[in-house]
Amino acid sequence: MAHNDGKDAPVRVTLETINQMQADGVIGKYAIGGAVGATFYLDPAATVDLDIFVTLPTASGGLLVSLSPIYEYLKSRGGEVQDEYIVIGGWPVQFLPPNNDLEQEAVTEATSTAVEDVRTWVMSAEHLVAIALKTGRAKDHNRILQFVEQDAVDRKKLGRILEQHGLTPKWIQFEAKFLGGPK
Amino acid sequence: MSKPKLRARLASLSFSEKIKILEKLRDRDKAIAASGLRRGPKQAGNRRPEDITK
Repeated sequence: MAHNDGKDAPVRVTLETINQMQADGVIGKYAIGGAVGATFYLDPAATVDLDIFVTLPTASGGLLVSLSPIYEYLKSRGGEVQDEYIVIGGWPVQFLPPNNDLEQEAVTEATSTAVEDVRTWVMSAEHLVAIALKTGRAKDHNRILQFVEQDAVDRKKLGRILEQHGLTPKWIQFEAKFLGGPK
Repeated sequence: MSKPKLRARLASLSFSEKIKILEKLRDRDKAIAASGLRRGPKQAGNRRPEDITK
């Protein structure tokens, strides 16, 4: 899946492959999260991977979620597995089945957009912030600050999501530590 | 242009344009890695705690 000019293929090619996988019924609805998802709302920041939160059609019966169908599908089309990633068109992609109600909601309510002419879905800014808060690593906190500083998040909508998913106390702590109290 | 203004300008670009910037950043990062210009912690003199204790 390398580009013929020696450079890796553009993200568009990666997304086309994922969309085809969706059309073939291997995956259900998906949404871009992580740093690339945040780039939809913020200024671009260097990242090494593409986080795809994905629902799996076979996961509805309460059985264990397996990413094997995704890996098999992509490997048969030239994808290369590298640790937790599968490289598609030069981009390491991590497929993440929703781990909780918040992530599931983020996929369900994702925003439709396009990269060039390829349709795709991105998590809302508020869901990205809530997930970052829940994850809680230093880089997640940094990303939340970017959203706040660039006024790229609807604070009322964020408040509703945080309340619904039991994250309000954590947000209050975050505000106190990084924002000097409630904003 | 100030940094906040530059960031605001970049944030206002379309998703497609931002993705193109990410692709350039990725290609640059790979080129630097391939050139060997990026030094590891030991080479940079930033010894890790485990290196010091052993």
